Amino acid sequence: MNPVFNMDAATLSPVALFLQADIVVKIVMGGLLLASVWTWALIFAFWRRLGKTRREMRRFENDFWKAEDIDAFYKREGDAALPSARVFAAGVREWRRSTAGGTIDKDGTRERLATTMAAASAEEVDTLSDKLNILATVGSVAPFVGLFGTVWGIMRSFTGIAAAQNSSLAVVAPGIAEALFATAIGLFAAIPAVIAYNRFSHGVNRIEAALNRFADGFHTTLSRQLDSSR
Amino acid sequence: MMDRAEKTGLGLAVAGHVVLFGLLSVGFLATPNPVKLKQQPMDVSLVKDVGLEATAPQSVTPPAQSIAPEQGEPEDAAPPAAEPLPRVEPEPRPAPPPPEPTPPQPAVRQKPAPAPKPAPVPPKPQPKPPAAAKPSPPKPEAQPRQTAAAAAARSRALDAAMKGIGESAEAKTAKPRGSRLGNDFLKGLSSEPSKSTSTVARAAKIDGKAMASIIQAIARQIQPCADRQVNPGPGANQIVTTLNLRLNEDGTLAATPRMVRQTGVDDDNGRYAQRVVDLGVAAFKGCSPLKLPAEYYSTPSGGWNNINFQWKLK
Repeated sequence: MNPVFNMDAATLSPVALFLQADIVVKIVMGGLLLASVWTWALIFAFWRRLGKTRREMRRFENDFWKAEDIDAFYKREGDAALPSARVFAAGVREWRRSTAGGTIDKDGTRERLATTMAAASAEEVDTLSDKLNILATVGSVAPFVGLFGTVWGIMRSFTGIAAAQNSSLAVVAPGIAEALFATAIGLFAAIPAVIAYNRFSHGVNRIEAALNRFADGFHTTLSRQLDSSR
Repeated sequence: MMDRAEKTGLGLAVAGHVVLFGLLSVGFLATPNPVKLKQQPMDVSLVKDVGLEATAPQSVTPPAQSIAPEQGEPEDAAPPAAEPLPRVEPEPRPAPPPPEPTPPQPAVRQKPAPAPKPAPVPPKPQPKPPAAAKPSPPKPEAQPRQTAAAAAARSRALDAAMKGIGESAEAKTAKPRGSRLGNDFLKGLSSEPSKSTSTVARAAKIDGKAMASIIQAIARQIQPCADRQVNPGPGANQIVTTLNLRLNEDGTLAATPRMVRQTGVDDDNGRYAQRVVDLGVAAFKGCSPLKLPAEYYSTPSGGWNNINFQWKLK
């Protein structure tokens, strides 16, 4: 066969184990491998996205609290693709809409500001935590899928025993090894997925809390402005 | 659908998986020395008769004891009782011969003699009585003699016994020795080892080694005839036939070798099974008599008088 790949059954060669397996086990293995690849892709993506978002949000809030003029700050940073910036922009837009008319209903304005910013904050959190459910699904289902492949492969091995009428370990061992390989891939995909899901849902929660704190702070600022305006 | 971070992540994940599985495929985590784990085929021959042990040593009777088994009175009483016996025996010995000339037969004839009491012919019984009378006198004589001799012996024995009792009583009172040894405690002993009463033959042990060498000798001696047998077909040499041999002491066959069992018969060579048996029988018939060690012909633990041989074509 391929001289590069070690196809001996006694070595732990994933290619050999995959090629020797039953079609059902092959499908299970392929699916789990794709799940593993997708899990790791999401892990890299979330890791970068959450880290970057948190860093930039901290910088944005620092800039915001230091800024003298909110309108000027809004002109400069209002269309940044950042959760805090979007919440800030939603608040400013609502503020402008509410204060555009002659008479100002202060309580109504406060309520509308709070609602608008809460909605913007929730939308940003939804966007951030998108595809986090894939990690949760892979983490909880992959072991079962792998186990299904293993059970199927072992059943096939025992059928092989019955067919060969020979119960020596040499007849059973390759089939059981490739069947167990399905469980191995399942765990290989599930363990990082579970760890990443817990880690990133914690990160999203922290971002959501920071976003809500910023929205509350901005709301307080706008509310004070509303009181002092007229 | 996928933003830049996810595309980068996907590329990294695919690259990582390819690297990992590639490393595993070229034996990165292979079992250190799989050659050592491979099973080495090993020939196992099931030798049934190895381990037979001799049964002879178990039935050896112990040598005579150095201590007289009885103590006290029986020692003294026994010798007097033994004395009269030899005296009685010689006398009855001559006595039996007289009864031998068939005294009962005349007695039977005599019985018909009284029967003809109502018979009207007296002269005929007359010649008979003399003939019957001749043997009859010895009979009364012999019987009295026998009874007299027996009575005499009995009385003598009784006397001797009485005397013996007296003697034992005297001995008891006269010599109260502390020793348990009687006067004849050396009776059964000699300087030579006592003769074993075991009925087992001296060379009773045939162990696995001897059995194996006998089997080897048989195989060697029938080899010329076995080489002459033609293999009847493919797979016939897989058949192992156990033949039961009944041999005479001179090594000739006492009976035609009989098939005990056959192994290695499958669908392909099943039609040659009986042919293989016949070839084995022919080989034994052609190369007997066999020359085998005579001491192992028949022992309690087996021998070559009745032996199983594994016959197999080359």
